[in-house]
Amino acid sequence: MPDNDHYVIIGNGPAGNHAAATLREKDKDAKITIISDECIPYYYKPKLTDFIADKIAKEDLMVNFLDSYEDKDIRIRCGQAVDRIDLNSKTLFLQHMEKIKYSKLIIASGSRERVLPSMASYAKHLKFVTSYTDVMEVKNEIQKAKDFFIFGGDLVGFKFLRLLNFMDKTVSILICPEAFWPYHLTSGMLAQIKENLSKLNADIIVEDEISTIEKQNKSYVLKTQKGIEKTVDMVFSFNGLIPNIEFAKGSGIDIDHGILVNEYLKTNVNSIYACGSCAQIYNRAIKSYSTSIGWPNAVAQGKAAALNLLGDQKIIESVSAKYFDLEGAKIKTSWWEDIDKDNDI
Amino acid sequence: MKKEDLYSKEEKLFQDKNKIYSAQYKKQIVYSTDARDFGQVAKSIPCQDACPAKTNIPGYIRAIYEKRYGRAYELNRGANILPGVLGRICSRPCESACRHGESDNGQSVGICHLKRSCADLKPGSHRIIEGLYTPTEKKVAVIGSGPAGLATAHSLAVLGHKVVIFESMEKPGGMLMYGIPEFRLPRDLLMLEIKNILRLGIELKTNKAVGSDISLSQLKNEYDAVVVAAGCVSPRKFDISGENLENVYNGLDFMKAVNEGKKPFVGDKVAVIGAGFTAVDCARSAVRLGATDVSINIRKTIEYMRIDETEKHEAQFEGIKIYSLIQPSRIIGDGGKVTAIEFNRTRMEKTDSPPYKISIPIKNSQFSVSVDCVIAALGQIPDVNVVSKEPEAMDGVFSAGDFVTGSSDVISAIAGGRECAAKIDEYLVGEKRKQTVVRLETHDTTDRQRSYDFIDKIEMNTIDMEERLSKSTHEVETGYTEDQAHEEAKRCYLCSLKYEIDPLACIYCSACIDVAPKDCIKMIESVSVNPDGTLGRYEETSNWNRVVSIAIDNANCIRCGQCLAVCPMDCISVTKTELIEIDT
Repeated sequence: MPDNDHYVIIGNGPAGNHAAATLREKDKDAKITIISDECIPYYYKPKLTDFIADKIAKEDLMVNFLDSYEDKDIRIRCGQAVDRIDLNSKTLFLQHMEKIKYSKLIIASGSRERVLPSMASYAKHLKFVTSYTDVMEVKNEIQKAKDFFIFGGDLVGFKFLRLLNFMDKTVSILICPEAFWPYHLTSGMLAQIKENLSKLNADIIVEDEISTIEKQNKSYVLKTQKGIEKTVDMVFSFNGLIPNIEFAKGSGIDIDHGILVNEYLKTNVNSIYACGSCAQIYNRAIKSYSTSIGWPNAVAQGKAAALNLLGDQKIIESVSAKYFDLEGAKIKTSWWEDIDKDNDI
Repeated sequence: MKKEDLYSKEEKLFQDKNKIYSAQYKKQIVYSTDARDFGQVAKSIPCQDACPAKTNIPGYIRAIYEKRYGRAYELNRGANILPGVLGRICSRPCESACRHGESDNGQSVGICHLKRSCADLKPGSHRIIEGLYTPTEKKVAVIGSGPAGLATAHSLAVLGHKVVIFESMEKPGGMLMYGIPEFRLPRDLLMLEIKNILRLGIELKTNKAVGSDISLSQLKNEYDAVVVAAGCVSPRKFDISGENLENVYNGLDFMKAVNEGKKPFVGDKVAVIGAGFTAVDCARSAVRLGATDVSINIRKTIEYMRIDETEKHEAQFEGIKIYSLIQPSRIIGDGGKVTAIEFNRTRMEKTDSPPYKISIPIKNSQFSVSVDCVIAALGQIPDVNVVSKEPEAMDGVFSAGDFVTGSSDVISAIAGGRECAAKIDEYLVGEKRKQTVVRLETHDTTDRQRSYDFIDKIEMNTIDMEERLSKSTHEVETGYTEDQAHEEAKRCYLCSLKYEIDPLACIYCSACIDVAPKDCIKMIESVSVNPDGTLGRYEETSNWNRVVSIAIDNANCIRCGQCLAVCPMDCISVTKTELIEIDT
């Protein structure tokens, strides 16, 4: 390869790391850089809840330590956020004002917490368990706090509920029909979930909405539209994830909910690919674009993106529609994988 | 020696911690027509440059900070005659350009919300200022009382001409009255600002349609000039089968019916087609009419929606879903009424000419969804049959606003109206009576504290969902309180203040560079000059042998005043720059 070629990967999750590893495997001489806005190497997100409860140590979270990047001659830039992409000069502008040139780019920036429009004005009161950084901000506080309120109810949310139960905390959970988006939980599904969770020591609320959240000293007072009032120490929101693609907006890369890519994971720009939960992938079967969730999907897409970037024509096959078990409620989905399915870390 | 000169700079800072004094103490005012000054204003004040009416945004935000709401209102009114209206429904190109919204600077200033604050918070006894010219005895007919017609009429009346507006509808305001829902724009406020325009002796003739009640040639004979500001009122059509079924509306007719107090049938499931403000207005109105499942369906991606984030948020808050990359292929009915709509999925494709990105239907990707009602908000085109196909081709006939530009936004229509009035005035009196200049005034303080840069944007107060649905005309946004307006005003960088280093006094110590929080002070070896005479980019160098000056790049400067405070030579000056109109 020419000396000035440089493969840059934005994102240090399963898609980004498997893309980098595949690139290295196929091209021993390439200069490969991973840029991550998190201050920690590749770690296993589904275990974050166990880490909160001190069931596992930080080392147990890690998939790759720094020396494994060194072994593969992959540069890792932790704690550096991409601000924007300039397609003409093939340059990434980082938030700390550094510029990085790339010859080919893989966007694997993952996703971030989704705040429902109705909760936007209370966002400052909400806590999340989306990343290691989120967790480190709240870990000690969680251990000290007694009363919790969970709003939403996606996969991580229910896992977190079980964790708090395990930690003997007092928990109320308001299950939002839009939490498992893009699917809408019907009244029947909500009833099934409520029944499934009734074994837990938690106050489960359905068919209601948060009216207000107010901070009073160190507590939060929540009121619902049906008149329920709770005073708690911490409020958590679990309403799914949205692609983390702010830095690509306005760059010329086609974006809808996520970064639009064809079945080969290529964006509308020849030298740029996207994979993992930040990508909205064209699906030949349904003739439409959809996003994927889950570790195995990200791994497969990371590998495919790298191979295609090197000239292959690997089509990413979508997971066919299947029934997903969400706390007893059967939801017909495609592209969804259980977050605990970790057969290919 | 003046008393103030007795004190050292540090002593002055000690005396008044909130003020940092610049090198130039004596007030000097210069009016410039130099291209370099116009270029500097455009580059350094991006909000004002992005505003089609060139509103003095830093000026009115500063007035709000000083709690001079009447002054802030008048500064607005100098550029647009409907500040209270625009403070609610403007498309806000200024906020997209605001430097506070640039990466690492936080969120853009709530410029539009602040504009509304001047109207909300000004005293009840506020005095309106009009710089009236002597009557000219010239008569001008204005066709249409929408924003362009009103702006043209107002400017012409100020210039001393007798103006008569011909409006085909029962009430004035055009799209403001009939296109925008009352929950976004209260009608009492709209009428108040219209009446303030009409007070200059402008005659308003409603229910007078030019083309049917009176002809353009009649007007041309009776008046010294005629302005066609008839807007865009002919809806674009789907051109697909089923669009004539019952309960399929075009967006403008639907909004007109809603705004006339009628209740068009919407049923439970409503599909709105379109990506602009009218589509969102239709969808939100459908929610208020009782629909429970409302969607906005767009051909391209969400990125291409022609609405701002606030509107998108409010629509989603009200439960409206947005589906992208789909395009209607036919509307399906039963017994003459719509029952479903069929879509094709689309993909984006690049083109070599505008709009550069189009959506292409994907073959065999059809799917249909059942609906009770379809609203096509696909935009409008001018109804040229009403008046004339080429009004400008006739001597003494002018045109303004959406009628000329096609469907745009209210602030562009107002700006177009003012420009048109200037042309008509020159036509009527034979000379140009006003010109725009750059007013440069030495300024003795930075007016800002660094802590202001870290204030979070103040969100607009709104009523809750229950109240929104209890009465469809309840205004959703309730405005800032006085304290909120004051706090939000602090966030403005006041980009109209120009910082300059005097190269003859500078000792190149680089202390200013060291304290600057942004990359705004540069060691330069040259400055390019653009073909229009404005200054171009600074050519930077890190080689001291090539440095000809240390310069402040006002396009990056956030007016924190740190450089001014640290300069040991007092060689940094602050100048307030404003675009103003003066008599020629």
